Amino acid sequence: MIDLVTSGALAGLSLDPSTLPQQLVNGLLIGAIYALIALGYTMVYGVLRLINFAHGEVFMLGAYAALFVSYGFGYTADAGDIAGGTWTLLAIMLLVSMISCAIVGAVIEFFAYRPMRNQTRIAALITAIGVSLLIQYGGQLFLPAQPPPSISEKVLPADIRGSYDFNLISPDPQLESDLAAAKTAADAADSELEKMLTDTGQREFDLEPEHPLRAAKFETIGEVRSLSAEIENSSVSVTVPRGQAVMFGTVVLLMTLLWWLVMHTRTGRAMRAASHDFDSASLMGINVNRVVTITFIIGSALAGAGAMMNATFLRTPLTPFFGFMPGVKAFVAAVLGGIGNIPGAVLGGFVMGLAETLVVWAGYGQYKDAVAFVILIVILLFRPGGLLGSSKVEKV
Amino acid sequence: MNPAVEIQKPSLLKFWGSRVISAIAAIAFCAGIQSLGGPLADNEFLYRIIVLSGLYVTLAVSLNLINGITGQFSIGHAAFYQVGAYTAGYLTVRMFSTQQIGEVPWLILMCLVGAAAAAITGLIVGLPSLRLKGDYLAIVTLGFGEIIRIIAINIDEVGGAYGLSIVPKIQSPWLIWALAILCIAVCRNLLKTAHGLPFLAVREDEVASSAMGVSTTKIKVTAFVIGSSFAGAAGALLAHYEAFITPDMFKMEVSFIVLTMVVIGGTGSITGSTVAALALFLLPEWLRGLKEANGDALVVSAPQLLGATLAIIAYIALARRVRDHYHGKPIQKAGFQFGVAAASLVLFFLFKAVFAQIGGLAGHEGWEINSLRMAIFAAVLIVIMLLRPQGVFGHHEFSWAWLKSLFVKKKQEAS
Repeated sequence: MIDLVTSGALAGLSLDPSTLPQQLVNGLLIGAIYALIALGYTMVYGVLRLINFAHGEVFMLGAYAALFVSYGFGYTADAGDIAGGTWTLLAIMLLVSMISCAIVGAVIEFFAYRPMRNQTRIAALITAIGVSLLIQYGGQLFLPAQPPPSISEKVLPADIRGSYDFNLISPDPQLESDLAAAKTAADAADSELEKMLTDTGQREFDLEPEHPLRAAKFETIGEVRSLSAEIENSSVSVTVPRGQAVMFGTVVLLMTLLWWLVMHTRTGRAMRAASHDFDSASLMGINVNRVVTITFIIGSALAGAGAMMNATFLRTPLTPFFGFMPGVKAFVAAVLGGIGNIPGAVLGGFVMGLAETLVVWAGYGQYKDAVAFVILIVILLFRPGGLLGSSKVEKV
Repeated sequence: MNPAVEIQKPSLLKFWGSRVISAIAAIAFCAGIQSLGGPLADNEFLYRIIVLSGLYVTLAVSLNLINGITGQFSIGHAAFYQVGAYTAGYLTVRMFSTQQIGEVPWLILMCLVGAAAAAITGLIVGLPSLRLKGDYLAIVTLGFGEIIRIIAINIDEVGGAYGLSIVPKIQSPWLIWALAILCIAVCRNLLKTAHGLPFLAVREDEVASSAMGVSTTKIKVTAFVIGSSFAGAAGALLAHYEAFITPDMFKMEVSFIVLTMVVIGGTGSITGSTVAALALFLLPEWLRGLKEANGDALVVSAPQLLGATLAIIAYIALARRVRDHYHGKPIQKAGFQFGVAAASLVLFFLFKAVFAQIGGLAGHEGWEINSLRMAIFAAVLIVIMLLRPQGVFGHHEFSWAWLKSLFVKKKQEAS
């Protein structure tokens, strides 16, 4: 997701309204991943009141799981000519990533967080930081990181390569015909120059720049460039790589599934009860340990899905430390939306993604990582409980 | 209940006597640190570590004032450290050559400037803390830290991402440790006098303390300002000691490590913060320098690593069982814990021997200790937290009376 934004940085060095829709779409795509990670933070916080700092590392492990599956099917970096992947392969990568993340999440919960449950929250937080550091630096020993591997783009099936293009405002037809005319002129000038060169046996770079044929060629090429730039500025189009569209659809599907699970199943009701009042829920016959495990499993599986899609469709290079920044940002997103609140996490994720791309669009790409926190602080100053959260008034 | 709250009335002689002795001891300690430079001249690395650990003591004790004593969950301490470092460093670069001041007085002046700049930042960060609580405050302080770091990256005046080099380099080891001792003394005296009571009250129960007439706003902001000003002074000293600072030196990880020192030592315990700061700062550096008998860097083989991992897991499980389910005399319990540790050591050798039989593992070339040190650091954090969640010292402080009672009791038991 980092690459998507930096590549956008080149496009938006000023407030250019014609690139705004594209940036908004990019923001939504990144926001979807943030939202998916933020859900894991917010669910765990809702039930346990614990900031699971190791969540970003679970995300990282999920991406590596997807990478290893793609290696297993032969899509290594030095694989030569290899047939494109299939939907089945993508599904296997997604499932393996989700399952391995779920296992890692459950294991971390059982070994590191469960013993800390009755302790002060700051002690649990330090344990979480310890687990996070352990996975980062332990991962450094076992995971390939030099050079940072990324999932081969050949895993994408043929039908989701390329991109969807939408023309929101078509360019002026006059300009288009001008461009076509300019292109023929440029071709003519070029072929004339070529002909002259083959006739005289000279090379192009031996000619002095003022040579009339060469000057004519550059003039016509310049014309084509300025006209295409003008067309680009007068038209508004949005390009969405097909893979990223699939990613967005999957994210929406997973969120809907989560919503159904939380609102319409017995397990979901138990989760809501436990997050409302942990102790009372256990008195009401809810197996809270089971609820906590399930919460970790679901949250980590969502992070795994996000990781697999991030690594496959956005092709982020993987290192054992690459989960840290998305993790922190997703946590900020969860707090922004009101931590413990599931719709809040989704909203916060999208707000974060949009804010980041808009800052890049406005030409302040170097403040991309800071804007998340600025927005957070501003919103918390006015709504101390986050956008959708409620801040409780403390009573005696 | 809290020993820090005990208020005693010693005699005048005892009162001034202990203070004069403490001051002399502090001066002697600083002089000792300064003069260590002579005998350690050939081991520059060790001396550097000893000096820099003083900075971490300052950071941990000052964060302890905010986090442990006042109970405000701040995890952005590196921000204040950075503000102090950059302010002082920038001023030295721009102004030192035009002033007719000696190096050390200038450094002290810069410490004050760095402290003032950090205190203003602390005031700005402290103000939102009036509205925010717990995790929300934590994330806002974390965010402030990142914002300040990213701003520093984007200001070319202070070197941007490349960093700022500070001329002249003023290294003053005694001043670094004097600051640490001053920080400890300020926090200790605050806790021992009536001025410290409202800080503890805010930590224990904010609503109740405000009902008792404590101005919680004032207390929280004061804690932020004092804590951050010490961090700022430490930053100023770091900048002049290293003579080169980059925004990368003040990453989120630094805040996390300082917070870890506070919690591992025991939130609220000054002794704990000091000891934990020294231990956790020295541990990775010590690991880095470990050598094999022939002088090569120590290599940990795969069977050793796996065996150690399993033995640690077994140790945690056993030690927790003893801690929670054994109700004997303390001395017996300690004996049991010792036995568990010994058994785990035996387990380690056993596991190692078993894993060494597996061809694939024995053939692995292993890892140099340097690449393992942060993983070991993290494992130490987890083990301490699982076995002693309240931190090594809990809420307690080191005191001579406690030491005396330990020996007196032992004598009684012996007789």
